[in-house]
Amino acid sequence: MIRIRTRRRERRALGDSGALSDLAFLLIIFFIVIAVFNVNSGFLLGLPRRGSVTTVNVDDLLRVTVDAGGAYLIDGAPRSPEELAAAVEERRRRQPNMTLLARIDPEAPYQSLVTLVEIARTADVDNFSFSRADAPETAP
Amino acid sequence: MKLTRPRRRPTVPVNAMSDIAFLLLIFIMLISLINYRREIPIEYPEATRTEIVQADRNLEVWVRDDGTIYHDGRPIDLGTMEAVIVDAVAADPSVRIHVLADRNTAYRHVAEVLEVLQLLQHRVVSLVVSDSPGAVR
Repeated sequence: MIRIRTRRRERRALGDSGALSDLAFLLIIFFIVIAVFNVNSGFLLGLPRRGSVTTVNVDDLLRVTVDAGGAYLIDGAPRSPEELAAAVEERRRRQPNMTLLARIDPEAPYQSLVTLVEIARTADVDNFSFSRADAPETAP
Repeated sequence: MKLTRPRRRPTVPVNAMSDIAFLLLIFIMLISLINYRREIPIEYPEATRTEIVQADRNLEVWVRDDGTIYHDGRPIDLGTMEAVIVDAVAADPSVRIHVLADRNTAYRHVAEVLEVLQLLQHRVVSLVVSDSPGAVR
């Protein structure tokens, strides 16, 4: 039997880069996970001019007090956030031009202000004002 | 006599894949560097109905639960904060100020920050909260 040796062209070794791409993709996933795409969400508030005075009808005012513990009070009666939201919405239905005036205890937790802002936004209250309870009361 | 050439196994060329992967890696690393911000450990206040308040130019003021104010990872006092805001507004009047305060911060600390903004006649401020379905309401 004749054995014919075929000439094989030598293939250039390209190196096994499969593991390298695996590593690269793992690193990509790692960086995507740790990358903080900081998109802030929250509430935009328009601050009034310092010392500005706005005249409002007293009948349109809904006064809310926030005590040091973060509890909401309307005319001295404590209300849960749900009750406050219902009261604001009901008042808004009756008086579309209502003004929500909040007096917040300096020691009240910030979360209580955020909840109040959310309630005002949910009820579409345009005139919303808040100030420190120990500051002299000014119109919104 | 019949000579048969051994068949080559089909292979997927993965060499270019690692090039793409590394390019992607560099791109994502750069993006994460650009978006890098110094986070202050705070417990975010929660709300359900929030809006995106991010602008093109942003300045973040952090208030921890003990009332310490931070900007760019460093604790600052109210005077320094005022100077930082003045500089930022002078550089770009459309810069948006974000207040990121801990949910347990006493209101007076946040009010002090808002009073400085009012003093500077900065009209729009963003209160940053965490969008959470399990909020108070």
